[in-house]
Amino acid sequence: MKKLSTASKIYLLLVFIVLYAPIFYLIFYSFNSGGSMNSFESFTLDHYQAVFEDSRLIVILINTVIIALLSGLIATIIGTLGAIGIVSIKDKKMRNTILSLNNVLIVSPDVVIGASFLILFTMIGVKLGFTSVLVSHVAFSIPIVVLMVLPKLLEMNTSLIDAARDLGASKRDVLTRVILPYIQPGIFAGFFLALTYSLDDFAVTFFVTGNGFSTLSIEIYSMARTGISLTVNAISGLVFFVTVLVVIGYYTVTNRRKRVSEEVQR
Amino acid sequence: MKSLVQATVAIIVVCALLFFMADRLESAGSAGSKDTITVYNWGEYIDPDIIDQFTEETGIKVIYETFDSNEAMMTKVEQGGSAYDVAVPSEYMVEMMKEKDLLLPIDHSKLPNLQNIDPYFLDLAFDPGNKYSIPYFWGTVGIVYNPSLVADHLDFTSWEDLWDPSLKEKVFLVDGAREVMGMGLNSLGESLNAKDETLLRQATDKLITLSPNIKAIIGDEITPLMINNEATVALTWSGQAADMMWENEELDFAVPEEGSNLWFDNFVIPKTAANLEGAHAFINFMLDAENSAQNNDYVGYSTPNAAAMELMDPEVIEDERFYPDEELRDKLEVYENLGLRWLGKYNEYFLKFKMSIR
Repeated sequence: MKKLSTASKIYLLLVFIVLYAPIFYLIFYSFNSGGSMNSFESFTLDHYQAVFEDSRLIVILINTVIIALLSGLIATIIGTLGAIGIVSIKDKKMRNTILSLNNVLIVSPDVVIGASFLILFTMIGVKLGFTSVLVSHVAFSIPIVVLMVLPKLLEMNTSLIDAARDLGASKRDVLTRVILPYIQPGIFAGFFLALTYSLDDFAVTFFVTGNGFSTLSIEIYSMARTGISLTVNAISGLVFFVTVLVVIGYYTVTNRRKRVSEEVQR
Repeated sequence: MKSLVQATVAIIVVCALLFFMADRLESAGSAGSKDTITVYNWGEYIDPDIIDQFTEETGIKVIYETFDSNEAMMTKVEQGGSAYDVAVPSEYMVEMMKEKDLLLPIDHSKLPNLQNIDPYFLDLAFDPGNKYSIPYFWGTVGIVYNPSLVADHLDFTSWEDLWDPSLKEKVFLVDGAREVMGMGLNSLGESLNAKDETLLRQATDKLITLSPNIKAIIGDEITPLMINNEATVALTWSGQAADMMWENEELDFAVPEEGSNLWFDNFVIPKTAANLEGAHAFINFMLDAENSAQNNDYVGYSTPNAAAMELMDPEVIEDERFYPDEELRDKLEVYENLGLRWLGKYNEYFLKFKMSIR
């Protein structure tokens, strides 16, 4: 890679400042003993303590993570198989139609999706709560997974599959030993995107929560109605910290794997 | 393929662990209680300790959910799917929910603590005889301002003060047709429930003369602006003003003498309720003098509970900005349900006023 010029370095720096400034500003004040974001008085961990002492908030946080992980997982499985299905459609017109239908769901507003789910669930008598939230999160994540997996599938050389077939691989072997390993980066990307979508979704979740089940986005929104308290800052700080840890963990694991496979190849 | 399977198994294991944790945490607070009620309330509108005390005393576990607007709350109650035993709508929403047949009548014989409520707040137009609702908190609409940033002669005991030329581009209004039109009508000495085309037109004309003074018409964003002294004067609800004054001690609040709006948030029992006994027990518990006093201390809005007021800090109770004297109280009006046609007119004139700004 060529070395970056000073101008582009400054530009890059500015971009990152714009991206991270609000988060750091928020985290900075989560340590403020003053009780508001007006002026920084002195360092305190009281707000973090408040988060950990509030078992209701912790349960909500855990719920949010469970929903994100599970919905991400289910959506990734369905979405990946769906993408493989779409690619294997021979009729070009048909394939484009299905792809457009997939894309319509990505751009359609969350409120509309949320309201439709609410009407659907109450009509067929599903009790609002964990299941309804999980199902709707899976639903809105699938199109994203499809979109993340698709490029990998399209870039795959079809002669790979033909070769596998010629060597006597069964359909199952082709899927598990050729296609899935090849598109694995796309699958992981899809999973992580589904994860973030689920973590941050407010509009859809708002409609389909009920019976005491709540997620962080809903809780923070109703807490913020009376002005942002520093507990919100503290919990946001915690979530950000955990996210950073997950990302670092993910990269070390993939890098190690890469190194291992490179060594094997050597 | 191997790593995909590994990742899947890892996710499932983590989920199972989290499930277990959440379950332990949830059951920790309420060992062995089968009885539960679901309470649907505004965000940060109750002392969390009160809920624990209620569970301790009665053995009824409380599932507590929050909403941020009357309309959102009604939508969820109306759609069903969740069994809310107690909800806390504002007075106009009580009326609407009553009309839509979404409420169950409240059995007063199960609420011995109802006697704690000041009779002044009972039997009001929006719910005669309190058949469906019990007042929880109340407040007014008034003007919050920063005395050090306005001219000395302004104390906002009259709506006219808003029209003062020194306040050019300094006034913030809440974005509510009833609140702003009500202010216009009140400033003319008229009722804020007026159903009269000429009066509405006059009020709008009067409001339009205020437009040079108006900086913006916004919602909850007023709170941080006032706290940070970035705004000088704002028309807002007393509860919101109390929050601002808690954060910024310089601020002051006034309810103009010509009259203003008196609002209520009330306990109701929605049609979807699954545990009527529990719902009544909860409302009764909240009406108890001691519990109410503790809760008022935490929430900071004005309470209708006379018995609780005796237990509270006299400084709070005697603050006439939030507990107005009788003379002013007589001039306060509760919003009446205007009906769709007149509500439309209020909105129409409010829009006309909004368009006149710059």
